[in-house]
Amino acid sequence: MGRVALRGLLAVAVITLCLFVFGPLLWLASQAFATSWTYPNLLPDGLTTRWWKVVLDDPALGAAVQNSLTFAPLTVLISALVCLPAAYAFARREFPGRRAMLIGLFATNAFPKMGLFATMASLFYALNLMQTVLGILIVHVIGTVVFMTWIPAAAFASVPRSLEEAARDAGAKPLRVFFTVTLPLALPGIAVAAIMSFLASFDEAQGTYLVGAPDYMTMPTQMYSLILNYPPQVAAVFSIMLSVPSVLLLLLVRKHVMGGHLAEGFQIR
Amino acid sequence: MALPPIVLILVFVGLPIVTALLYSLGHTGGLNSVTATIAQHQHVATSWWGTLDAYREVLTNARLQRDLALTVTVTVVSTVAVMLVAFGIALYQRLSDSRLAKALAVLAIVPMFIPVVIGSWAILLFYSGTGFVRTALAQIGVEGPVWAYTQTAIIIGSVWTSLPFAVLMISSGVQAVPDAVIEASRDAGASLARTVWSVILPMATVPVIIAATFTAIGVLGSFTVPYFTGPNAPTMLGVDINNYFSSFNQPQQSVVMAFVVFALASVIGAAYVWANFRTAAKAVR
Repeated sequence: MGRVALRGLLAVAVITLCLFVFGPLLWLASQAFATSWTYPNLLPDGLTTRWWKVVLDDPALGAAVQNSLTFAPLTVLISALVCLPAAYAFARREFPGRRAMLIGLFATNAFPKMGLFATMASLFYALNLMQTVLGILIVHVIGTVVFMTWIPAAAFASVPRSLEEAARDAGAKPLRVFFTVTLPLALPGIAVAAIMSFLASFDEAQGTYLVGAPDYMTMPTQMYSLILNYPPQVAAVFSIMLSVPSVLLLLLVRKHVMGGHLAEGFQIR
Repeated sequence: MALPPIVLILVFVGLPIVTALLYSLGHTGGLNSVTATIAQHQHVATSWWGTLDAYREVLTNARLQRDLALTVTVTVVSTVAVMLVAFGIALYQRLSDSRLAKALAVLAIVPMFIPVVIGSWAILLFYSGTGFVRTALAQIGVEGPVWAYTQTAIIIGSVWTSLPFAVLMISSGVQAVPDAVIEASRDAGASLARTVWSVILPMATVPVIIAATFTAIGVLGSFTVPYFTGPNAPTMLGVDINNYFSSFNQPQQSVVMAFVVFALASVIGAAYVWANFRTAAKAVR
């Protein structure tokens, strides 16, 4: 009896969770094909692909897609160049202020983004970074520093030193040891960091709007105005388009993200 | 080698925070002069260190007090809910090898890959007056609740967006508990509940604390979720920071609120740092 009750409880919990996570997304996606929807009908009044045409014909939305798909990879690349050497240093070297720096990175995460952007504006005006690609990239990269430093640092730290020593004993130079032993073993962790950074950049809206609008609109910044100014079906179409790159990433990297690299990275050692 | 990201953060995050602190105390010169010339209702420094008038104004404003209370409530409720659900999923995955358990863990990660703007808006539509919840209930003749633009919707949205990270963190902690330990506890006659409470939970304390602090800090300073799903008033401080800055043209008040949120986040962050150093002290490097 107890077992049956437990099974029933479990089934209810699983169904509720599915509905909670997927319900809103499916409901939103179905709007993209509806002519209109009258409450309380379970089905839309009719089906159409007209909203897709509206979105695809709007040059501003096309530009936003292009901007997003340019800024996100650039952000990941810059962030990797800036942060990966630091991640290696945090993992392998003991230096004064090491722990203070790791906590400092964490602290920047605790300051509300909105408040930061409000004050960053004056600095950006002073440095002439407003309405520039560089300014937008700086905003995006800042949002990725924690991921790009912490997760790869944990990945580098988990490469056994004995393997590196063995390679060195066999006569390999330090650089060669790094590129043939350390880096390949740390690569899955770095990949997770890159994906988290890509998503962070792809998702960034407030800072991009403040620095880039109206010259440089990205998909999330366009999404804000779409939701406020267009019929819901148009925003639904755009939502599906905006989710495609992220969902593809999810399918590609599910195993790595689930494999604990992310969790490892968030423990300061 | 560690310098580039630190310098980047110091210049583009540290420096703005310091200038913001000076501005919140009434110093309107230097980098703050651009903002200060167009700002309204400004409190200018009256002594060498400044003035606390802006803080006094914000903290005694009845509307902002309500918003602060709402912000804290939403943060506490969402964090507790996220922890319970995430721990439940992690536990189920640890104790059952079924495909359903694995599928559930993957499912809970999905919101991480959906931009927050879309997630918030999808939730707004789902729980709106003409949304799915009310539509489905109407089929069986029940008048469902309208949660869109309420505090409940902010909590639902916050749980939705925070769940993936917590599930990843806690799962990895719970997975690390060895089978042998769980079996030993069961062999010694402990019930399942007892094993979870006094064996699995203590061994996963650190990941649980990390997940809780990141969830709480994230919700505390959030903007997008309350902006889309919540009521116009009372709202969360993240939305107020934006409104005071861009709509009301009162950047000083907006910056003061940012520091109020930061102060709360720092208290939570202390728990994170403590949890980490406790393990770091035990770990053999």
